[in-house]
Amino acid sequence: MKPKTSVNRPPTPDVLENPPEREPTLQELLNIKLIESGEKERLMELLRERLVECGWKDDMKALCRAFVKKQGRNNVTVDELVHVITPKGRASIPDSVKAELLQRIRTFLMSAAV
Amino acid sequence: MSLPNEENALDSQLSSHFFWDILDSIIVDVASECHRIARLGLDRNLEEEEEELKLSAQARARVADSSNNNEVNGKYVVDIFGQTHPPVASEIFECMNCGRAIAAGRFAPHLEKCMGKGRKARTKVTRSSTAQSRHLRGNHAPTNSPYSNSAGANRISNGHSGVSGEEHSNGTYEP
Repeated sequence: MKPKTSVNRPPTPDVLENPPEREPTLQELLNIKLIESGEKERLMELLRERLVECGWKDDMKALCRAFVKKQGRNNVTVDELVHVITPKGRASIPDSVKAELLQRIRTFLMSAAV
Repeated sequence: MSLPNEENALDSQLSSHFFWDILDSIIVDVASECHRIARLGLDRNLEEEEEELKLSAQARARVADSSNNNEVNGKYVVDIFGQTHPPVASEIFECMNCGRAIAAGRFAPHLEKCMGKGRKARTKVTRSSTAQSRHLRGNHAPTNSPYSNSAGANRISNGHSGVSGEEHSNGTYEP
């Protein structure tokens, strides 16, 4: 029996199984632009910084620690932790942070979509 | 040509999509970090908190017991790693100023006199020119004795410049 692995990695999809779509969606195109221009990385850093400042990261770490304490520290996987954090994480973003990020994203999209 | 409302809706939908996308990545990062801390046992607050409290209380008791005034009564003190230190550090080095062999524990008072920074040593003009040129040839901070300009030194150390304004710290000497 396979031991419990820390990271649950899905098998790499084969190109033959998954023929690439002929028409990339707008979303995909914009995503590519975001990444290639480096803006996605900048946005991530900005969001990370804001989340640390407002204590969100500490809250999430506390949730993780509580979970780890319950499960036993050698018995947790990254997936489990992600599932633990995600609902509360998504819900507890301060409005100001969200607004700031959305504004920046919107600005970028407007300049990129032209 | 779509209506402005529709464009806004699409815009905000796209923005939201990217926002949650970025947030998800960050969540995975945080989870990964916490996972690492958990697995490596780096989080000392887990169950070991009570044990750590006990250990630190023990260490504190041990420190409070042995006195720290070891210079006065010559008692050996045990630090938190269990090492003992003799009351006066006995390793011997060479003073970079005068070249004498000095014990580490006597080094500070020796330097006071040697470098002329002490109260009484400062005004003493007991330096011979040989002592001066030996200072200036070596690699060390020059003294603030009034003889420092007149010595026939061809090289000034690149240590801290002394009081005299003509000293240069880039290793050249201009007469």
